[in-house]
Amino acid sequence: MNNRVFLFDLDATVTKVEILPALAEQVGKAKQIAELTERTMHGELPFKSSFLMRVDMLKTIPISTVSRIVEQTPLNEKIVDFIAENRERCYIVTGNLDVWIEPLIKKIGLPMTHCYCSAASVENDMLLRVNSVLDKELVVQQFVQPVVAIGDGSNDADMVRLAEVGIGYGGVRPVAYSLMSNATHVVYDEERLCAFLRTLCE
Amino acid sequence: MKNNVSIVISCAGMGTRLGLCCTKALVEVEGKTLIERQLDMLKDYDDIRVVVGYQAEKVIELVSSVRKDVLFAFNHDYRNTGTGASFCLGAKFGREYVVALDGDLLVHPEDLIKVIEYDGSCVGGTTPSTDNPWTMPTQMINGVKCVTGFSKEYGDYEWTGLAKIRSDQLKPGTRHVFHLIEPMLPIPMVQIRTKEIDTIDDYERAVQWVRNGYED
Repeated sequence: MNNRVFLFDLDATVTKVEILPALAEQVGKAKQIAELTERTMHGELPFKSSFLMRVDMLKTIPISTVSRIVEQTPLNEKIVDFIAENRERCYIVTGNLDVWIEPLIKKIGLPMTHCYCSAASVENDMLLRVNSVLDKELVVQQFVQPVVAIGDGSNDADMVRLAEVGIGYGGVRPVAYSLMSNATHVVYDEERLCAFLRTLCE
Repeated sequence: MKNNVSIVISCAGMGTRLGLCCTKALVEVEGKTLIERQLDMLKDYDDIRVVVGYQAEKVIELVSSVRKDVLFAFNHDYRNTGTGASFCLGAKFGREYVVALDGDLLVHPEDLIKVIEYDGSCVGGTTPSTDNPWTMPTQMINGVKCVTGFSKEYGDYEWTGLAKIRSDQLKPGTRHVFHLIEPMLPIPMVQIRTKEIDTIDDYERAVQWVRNGYED
């Protein structure tokens, strides 16, 4: 067995839908958030500023409500099974806020020590401020072991570019062009993706 | 059906010799593209890898519409490298055996299966028919016809780009697939019926062949 580690994007890679647009329905801003998300995934807006804009629109929802909704996000079960089988070498790498996604990460079967994400402070169950926005490229650079990175959006392109094996997963939504230009592989079938990942474990 | 085989279809090239503005795998012969024909023949195999480069999105879209469970590998340097580079990229992390298949090769369905199911490594050879082919001299070794070299000058059979080799014998390379096979010679040859499509003349011969039910 080799020592490769597997870094998964969360939205539309491990989850079956984008998380923020689902949340936005709660505050009647679904259309604006979906549009911002799409433009960001295609690389038309920088992730950091777009993410902060989207958080700003959602900050009126209590944290407990957000994490309850996020926890119910449907998951790609075969990918989750792969993660469960290989817990020690799997990580989630997402721009989403720690205070929103913690229950979902637990549901996926990983401790928060295996989740790289953006961080925020909370006061009285409300979002106080965003402290940091995750740069996925920096995460890959920190790993000592060879990396397999799996994602779908423009903000995954650098993570995929720096990985030994960089995979675009198009099972939920089309893979961003910028990611395709940097990937070693692209795959559209969840079972096929997991079969390939198991090969990479050997 | 063997399940210790990964099949690598190289579709990264630009098809410039054919004078068409699309990658050769997308060339239609009798209403079906070459890649669709190959995928039809390979429906019983579960590890299909398609290497893409030029017009990658078009190839991916077409292949995915026929079959979802394909692994695509990218040859981003398709302008400067040959089929050998594409094959290595597709064969990486492959099973015990890897099969090299050019996306522009029109092969008799029975013969493709014959190569994949061959017990061990082998190379597919055909009667020379294309313009300026690479040919293969052969020799009988222990009752088996084996390829002993690749040459533009002499050889009884034409190199087809179709081969089945052990993954652990594959060393990285960027030229033709047969350059990767040269260190493994001699290697058994399986005679196959094919039409490679490199020029317009080749294309017309191929169309006629399919029309006749893969018979000349």
